Amino acid sequence: MRAVSKAKNRSIARKSLRRTIFFVILILLAGSTFEPYNQAQLALVLILFIGVLSVTLLTGISGQLSLGQGALMAVGGYCMALLMTNQGYSLWMAIPLAMVGSALAGLLLGISAARLSGPYLAGTTLVIALAIPTLANRFMSVLKGDEGLPVDVGYPPVWFTNLFGEPSYEEWQLYVALPFAAIALFFASNILLSRTGRMWRAIRDHETAASLSGVNFSRQKIFVFVVSATFAGLSGALYGLRGLVGPSVYPVSLSLLLLTAAVLGGIRSIFGAFIGTVIVVFLPDWIDAILHSFELSEQVSNFLPALVSSLLLILTVVINPAGVAGTHLHKHKHK
Amino acid sequence: MRNRASLSRSPRSFISTAAVVLAGALALSAVPAQGASTPGVSATEIVLGMQLPQTGPASPGYNKVDDAMRAYFDYVNSKGGVYGRKITLVTKDDTYKAGLTVSTASALINKDKVFAMVGSIGTQTHISVIKDINRRGIPDLFVNSGYSGFYTDPKKYPTTFGGLGTYIVEAKILGKHIKENFAKNTVGIVYQTDDFGRNTVEGLATAGVTFTPKKTAATFIAGTQGSGLDAQMQQLKDNNVDVVVVGAVASAFAAAVASANKIGYKPAQWIVISVGADATTFQTILGARGIPAASSAGLLAGTISASHAPSPGEADDEFVKAFKKINDDFNKGPDKRWDNNILQGMNIGYLTTSALLGAGKDLTRPGIIKYIESNAAKLSSAALAPLGYSTKTHEAFTGFWIGKYDAATVLKPIDATRKVWTTDSAKGAVTELKYTRPAIAADALPKVG
Repeated sequence: MRAVSKAKNRSIARKSLRRTIFFVILILLAGSTFEPYNQAQLALVLILFIGVLSVTLLTGISGQLSLGQGALMAVGGYCMALLMTNQGYSLWMAIPLAMVGSALAGLLLGISAARLSGPYLAGTTLVIALAIPTLANRFMSVLKGDEGLPVDVGYPPVWFTNLFGEPSYEEWQLYVALPFAAIALFFASNILLSRTGRMWRAIRDHETAASLSGVNFSRQKIFVFVVSATFAGLSGALYGLRGLVGPSVYPVSLSLLLLTAAVLGGIRSIFGAFIGTVIVVFLPDWIDAILHSFELSEQVSNFLPALVSSLLLILTVVINPAGVAGTHLHKHKHK
Repeated sequence: MRNRASLSRSPRSFISTAAVVLAGALALSAVPAQGASTPGVSATEIVLGMQLPQTGPASPGYNKVDDAMRAYFDYVNSKGGVYGRKITLVTKDDTYKAGLTVSTASALINKDKVFAMVGSIGTQTHISVIKDINRRGIPDLFVNSGYSGFYTDPKKYPTTFGGLGTYIVEAKILGKHIKENFAKNTVGIVYQTDDFGRNTVEGLATAGVTFTPKKTAATFIAGTQGSGLDAQMQQLKDNNVDVVVVGAVASAFAAAVASANKIGYKPAQWIVISVGADATTFQTILGARGIPAASSAGLLAGTISASHAPSPGEADDEFVKAFKKINDDFNKGPDKRWDNNILQGMNIGYLTTSALLGAGKDLTRPGIIKYIESNAAKLSSAALAPLGYSTKTHEAFTGFWIGKYDAATVLKPIDATRKVWTTDSAKGAVTELKYTRPAIAADALPKVG
């Protein structure tokens, strides 16, 4: 029995690895043909993709509704920025440690939220997101208040430029984000295919039934918070490396953006997380490209991306709750 | 059995669909290739970029500055442009959120290929992009922030130049006035907890005006003023503050007055940092809260503020006259009512045109930076104080005059004759400034010869 289980785990790992390698090749191919602006957009897609994965795991797979993933991103961002600016750590050291910091935050949140569900849990997480600016100002000497901590990806190391030539700043942002996005994809894929993923889905679908089947749902709920917070912290650290870690970088709207991306793409799917992220990142450009010739006033054009994404969100929830990925899934099923 | 929830399709299907999505994304947002040696400059055009809050809680008033700048550039273009090149201003709304400022800066630099950033608004938002803009050598001209940290060390930010006098200079000058005129009063402050607010407190402290935290000093987080400042006003009222200094944006000053009015708090004197004291913005915001224009004019009357430029209500000022006419003829914005924001936008447009002319026909990024650093005296504007640009500092206007709003919401000099005061952003003394502003030409175009 144990041997069968090991073989299955190996099979899952191989499948996840194949998926990750394909993903990396795709991004590298796309990145090498893109102009710097689109490289920066693609880097943003990778960064937010990790954050959306945290929503997929927490809300889509285990059924815990969070409106405060942006706050966990902020925890990752601040941990990373403090380690880089105060301790002089490189980003390659600071980011994994920031993930540990956000995992601990996730543990605390998970312990306090284990008994909550539905709107109570959503309310609790929303309050945490709202508290970030207050905390940044309360601990002004360390967190530097509203102006925050300036950090960035810096320049590529000499060995990199010797090997691959001098990349543009945007290209370097992309190359920094890619390995982390690949690792996140690999782990998310592994979790969803594994026994853990099945337990989380069981909790989402029916807590009592899951408990009767031997799932310790309190422990698993805490665990999913820890894993989700680790993903969110990683995303937040990379998001801060775009220039600044501060309250205005992680507003409440960021949490809602992640949730929007997850729902649009398909909240129960990794593929959906990616598609949803591409939609929310590129939507303003698509709208701009389509409506460019109409010369709309700023009063209209500035609100259009939010308006269109809101409409898409409503249409998705009403017509196609499984999102873009779910539509594909539906077609496959009926072939 | 396949896992239906997430991984039911093969990796090939995942990749092919993802590739189609990425290709689609690229096709719709592709950036046209450009071959010019200096980005944003062609034989017929100069492209400039600007970031500002066009929407969101910090936008009221400030969202008029870009329309005023564009109106002045359109006027310059109607007169033949700068050495035959028309000026195009591309603006991006960052809603005063730094995460969005990073994205919009990337769009302006990499997609719109701007020659320079000009007149960008917001201290905390600009912090998120200033390093990147400077690293790329992109001129970051006439930033609409008085935060001294952007300008006092040109080695740190060599391409960034101010578009306002610094908050410290202004606060020191107002501090001197407070010390001399309100020594017997209890002076308090409400300020936003960012560099803008803290610079104000620092400047006042240098002038000897200090506050007690949680008693005579009330704070709020920038962007939260939309829900009112009742608690802050109650705190100042409870501590018997009768002179309230405001170190915050215009929407926050309006919120503070509305909250004070609501709780029946009537301080003897309001003193407001210039960027927070625009009459039109003040009255518009209070109007939205149900306070009619006549009443809001009454609430503003008597408020003390400072300015580096003439008041928009000074109808006889030659710059005011010229800019007002250009605003009437060329401003296509949704709200072109003449006010401080429009005047500042016009002035930044005038200053930018002056710098572009001075940098010469062979326009380059290093060329315009060097020109501005070396020729501050030639770069005149509507301001009643000279520009401080040099290789040692990139601070803009070095002086302010102090005024009081009358019943017609016009800021009038507090002294019988207008006195302009000057100081530095460090510990230097406040002294009277003797400066004669160069006249504006009949065609309202800058002359740099």
